[in-house]
Amino acid sequence: MNIKRRKIFGQVLFILFAFYLDGLIKWAFLNNMNHETVVILPQIMLMAIVMLTMRIEDRRQLIIYGIVFGVIYDSYYYGIIGLYTILLPLLMVGIDHFRFLLIKNNMGYDISIYFLSLTFLQTGIYLLEKLLQQTSTDVFDFITYTLGPTLLWNIVVFFVIYIPLANMSAWLVKYRRDSK
Amino acid sequence: MQKFFSNKKLIILMILIIVTFGLLAVTVNIRDKKSTPPVVQQVGNDVVSVVGGVFAYPTNAVKNATSEFSDLYNTYSENKRLKTRIDELAQNQAKLEVVQDENKKLKQELKLNGTLTDYSTVNASVLSRSPSSWQNYLTINRGQTSGIKKNMPVMSGKGLIGRIVEVDKVSSKVELISTNNELNDKFAAEILGDNKNVTGVVSRYDSSTGDLVMENVNSTKDIKKGQSVITSGLGGLTPRGLYIGKVYGIKKDNYGMTNSVYITPAAEMRNFTVVTVIKSSVHGEN
Repeated sequence: MNIKRRKIFGQVLFILFAFYLDGLIKWAFLNNMNHETVVILPQIMLMAIVMLTMRIEDRRQLIIYGIVFGVIYDSYYYGIIGLYTILLPLLMVGIDHFRFLLIKNNMGYDISIYFLSLTFLQTGIYLLEKLLQQTSTDVFDFITYTLGPTLLWNIVVFFVIYIPLANMSAWLVKYRRDSK
Repeated sequence: MQKFFSNKKLIILMILIIVTFGLLAVTVNIRDKKSTPPVVQQVGNDVVSVVGGVFAYPTNAVKNATSEFSDLYNTYSENKRLKTRIDELAQNQAKLEVVQDENKKLKQELKLNGTLTDYSTVNASVLSRSPSSWQNYLTINRGQTSGIKKNMPVMSGKGLIGRIVEVDKVSSKVELISTNNELNDKFAAEILGDNKNVTGVVSRYDSSTGDLVMENVNSTKDIKKGQSVITSGLGGLTPRGLYIGKVYGIKKDNYGMTNSVYITPAAEMRNFTVVTVIKSSVHGEN
């Protein structure tokens, strides 16, 4: 196995681990089923995806990651295919497209990009589910009880685990810079 | 026309939109109408859930340990209270055995093979919960191979928690009763009154109070706070006698026309790692 393949294998494992963390954190810590007014959705996989997207320069690879993990996420957690499957690749291509705006890779950039992606993804899912009548929540309830708490929780967690996350994703993509 | 098709980005966008809505519509329809998802999706979900077990078992162990810790905290007062009830329990158990035996013999006499109260159970452990606001699903580690079918009711230790919505080969998804989805979360229920039982449908979940709401109640005259609510077995999907919760209060709707009974769910939906799937012996149409 050459170094490039090994790195890609590492990236896939990294995203998969984050994928399982989403469900487990929701199950183990945010599982308030009796009084569910505030809904917090952990989005650790999105963190991993955003961090990798900011560092991988191959757009084809990004689209493949987006579609594959989007399908897995939809099928395993949502039971409806077409939410993450479409929104995740779109998001990754979007970040890739506006890469020229992000000259420096520092924490402020990473967090604001993550904030925007999370808002885009959750709003997109809400709109699609509303369209398909999977939910009867109105927009204001969605913003107050789902989007707000979700953003707050995830940004705090992102802030806390930023340094290991950034080092990990930089190391997983690093061979490109060496070979240049 | 030629100019239109030469615009590659526009075509890509068009195809994307068509594919999105196509996929969504097809999968929603399959989920609502078919008893199992397509084989590819089943196999995919199974692989993901089997690998997920590696992460889920340590998490469940930690969860059990923490709930044991909180149990330890209020052991003394609980122990006092429970001691007074133990004698009563032993007496009830003996009575139950005698009555069950008698019931069996009487059924044989009447040549009844199964009634609405007969069911068998399958235990399963929980692998994860969906990080989604409107799909309140738990993934459990039993599927078709253990005889699980769509729409079977699911209990935790104390009471009803939901219903199976998707069955794969070795895993399945449980939709929680605390869901606002209007299609799936209805249970035929019955309030055990002093002289007469009142039937209705548990059809809603009030997320602000954490209560289940029972509607279509025929009369509210005999309903009192604290009475037990069980599944009624009408409709054929759920057996009779699964415990749902206790009556909390009655409210009239805005027009003063219909009565809603608010029920405090029995299942404390926080600290459990194992669920029980109920297999009814009598089958309805489905």
